[in-house]
Amino acid sequence: MSTIAPEKYKENASKGIADPVLQKALGGLQDRLGPATEKLYNSQPEGHDMRPRAHQFRRKAIDNLDVLLSTLADKVRGHGGIVHFAKTAEEAVEICKKIALENDVKTVVKGKSMVTEEVGLNLALEKEGIEVYETDLGEYILQLSGEGPTHIVAPAIHKTRREIAELFTEKLGTPYTEDPPTLTRYARKALREKFLKADMGISGCNLACAETGHIVTVSNEGNIRMSTTLPKIHVAFMGMERIVANLEEQQSILRLMSMGAAAQEIGGYVSYVGGPAQADHSDGPQEFHLIIIDNGRSKILADPEFREMLCCIRCGACLNVCPVYGKIGGQAYGSPYCGPVGAVVTPLLFGINTSADLCAGETLCGACKQACPLEINLPRMLLALRSKLSDGDPDWQVQPKSKGENLLFSGWQRLNNNRKIYDTLLDLMRMLQHLLPAKQGMITRLPWPFSGWTANRNMKKLAPKTFMQQWKETKEKKDS
Amino acid sequence: MTTQKDFIGDISTALGRPTPAAVDLFTVAPTTAEQDILKNIRQRSPGERQPFIKTLQEVSVPLHLDFHPERSLEDIRQAIITLILEKDPEWGTKKSVVRWDHPLLNSLNLEAAAELKDISLYTTSPVAATLSAEERQQQRQQTRKEVEESFIGITSADYCIAATATLAMKTRPGQARSVSLVPSIHLAVVEESKLLATLEELYTLLKWDEAEQAEGLTNNLSLVSGPSKTGDIELVMVHGAHGPRELHLFLVADRS
Ligand code: SF4
Repeated sequence: MSTIAPEKYKENASKGIADPVLQKALGGLQDRLGPATEKLYNSQPEGHDMRPRAHQFRRKAIDNLDVLLSTLADKVRGHGGIVHFAKTAEEAVEICKKIALENDVKTVVKGKSMVTEEVGLNLALEKEGIEVYETDLGEYILQLSGEGPTHIVAPAIHKTRREIAELFTEKLGTPYTEDPPTLTRYARKALREKFLKADMGISGCNLACAETGHIVTVSNEGNIRMSTTLPKIHVAFMGMERIVANLEEQQSILRLMSMGAAAQEIGGYVSYVGGPAQADHSDGPQEFHLIIIDNGRSKILADPEFREMLCCIRCGACLNVCPVYGKIGGQAYGSPYCGPVGAVVTPLLFGINTSADLCAGETLCGACKQACPLEINLPRMLLALRSKLSDGDPDWQVQPKSKGENLLFSGWQRLNNNRKIYDTLLDLMRMLQHLLPAKQGMITRLPWPFSGWTANRNMKKLAPKTFMQQWKETKEKKDS
Repeated sequence: MTTQKDFIGDISTALGRPTPAAVDLFTVAPTTAEQDILKNIRQRSPGERQPFIKTLQEVSVPLHLDFHPERSLEDIRQAIITLILEKDPEWGTKKSVVRWDHPLLNSLNLEAAAELKDISLYTTSPVAATLSAEERQQQRQQTRKEVEESFIGITSADYCIAATATLAMKTRPGQARSVSLVPSIHLAVVEESKLLATLEELYTLLKWDEAEQAEGLTNNLSLVSGPSKTGDIELVMVHGAHGPRELHLFLVADRS
């Protein structure tokens, strides 16, 4: 289970960097998935057009969200489903709770869904005495251990087989083994019982198709199919942006999502769910509810600077290449959404000021944009967020940064604009820097107020001559 | 509670309507490229499908899918009987098998096999509309019991896509979704004429073929590529997470 606490970024990031197990896991994951995804992109029959085109499809969908959602709702109702609209997280939770209570639901099985984590569904259902089981193996492990996810697609990647062995022995009472297939079998058995007795299945929605009126779920384990086939009620949670207009566009993005998420041509199980079982069918849920959630998204939609973020399909490809995420891990981001995507989405959904460190932490190297199946310009939006943080923005309730900092930077700016002062200062610094503690030609500690800069790194000493001086001298020598 | 009108209204405001919606949201006619794909599929001869079989063989290996070489109905029947006899149930000791009510599977006539006389063979029948709600419920519960009890589930598929070894299965009366999901082993028997080259072909058919359009995707269309798998423990690939541990595929040769 994840609580939303982006303000602990620095603290948790330091923990992550100091954790050798996490470092190894993240390294292994990035080495494996990053290049594999890139290779797949390059081998598609559609060629290099595929990603920019998919971006256009998503953009068109977001720009016409009102039409698409109305169409989807009409079609789903036509298939016998029930559609709910939730403006806020609380409302979404209330709707689901009401369905559960009215149907006397005792056990819920859940397929992996980030939006249910965003709205805090599990806790609310558990408060009503309902048992809730995460059924994605990684999510199940985290539910047992009470931790937050480290990765969007591989949430328990930071857990070693030994930790999982101990966890299962303690919580499931299974014999101790460090063999992944055997551990998987234990979880399979434990969860099969839950699947068979559950009276409600909850899923997310990867990407709905408006024209046909279907939500689409993807998994490799088959847990989502189990959750949406066996219980008598299926409730699907959908962030309002997870939709595209027609089947051609849907399939092209679905395939890109599979490439980005797991370097697959297509996920192992893809289900198009349009409604409940029909009267003459011998299985499937008797009720199908679709809860479409805003929870801050229409605010993002209204801002032209950030609208692009709604194109995101949460595939996690940007995590698999990000140098910052690769060191600090997902838990540092303090939100169900981590990595580069989290550094933009978390501030926009949960408050820019509280998530300030998230957008400041990324490097703007551009790897995420290159890896994204939809070529979403995360670096651009990170910069936009940073500029809001320094100047403030009443629309997003962002307080400007401290006066002191602004003063410091305007002073710095003035200094840089005056050659004479700049050169004098450089000369002064060159003399003074010999007084500072140094190691192998690197300054190890700067005095206050610059001490923060050397807290985690050393600083190169100023060169005896600037480039401009050297240039001038060389030129003079040559000319004479 | 937020109404649809309010919810959509807020979105329209955020979009700065009344700007008109894009005209090409929902496509109404196939492009020339799509028409060509359709034509290609329809005019394809059995000989032209042979390369797909080779592709299917190749992609089956990394996916952990057992693609069987038997092609005639009689050989497939025998291979299935052998599998039923040789494989062990995962939960408990009783051997039961459940299958779709489907013409191709009916023609296998497994029920007549003397070797299987000790094994319960179930068929998921359509639920007759003439039954009362209570009777329908009873029949569903019976089917559910049989599916849970079975260690092998046998289905056919609407299509099989060679490039990704994907089975496309719509839901219909008599073709229960749980048969390809709950039993530990899934056997799929598909006619060779249902073999397509790529996912693109599948989606073009689903979208533009008249018969497909008339039926729609149904309330549940599943695309299954290989058995269930997970890499959630230290990225070690394990087959059989929650769905079937094994997936066996049989292609029935074209008799025309
Ligand atoms: S930003 Fe792109 S790569 Fe990252 S999760 Fe979203 S769609 Fe995937």
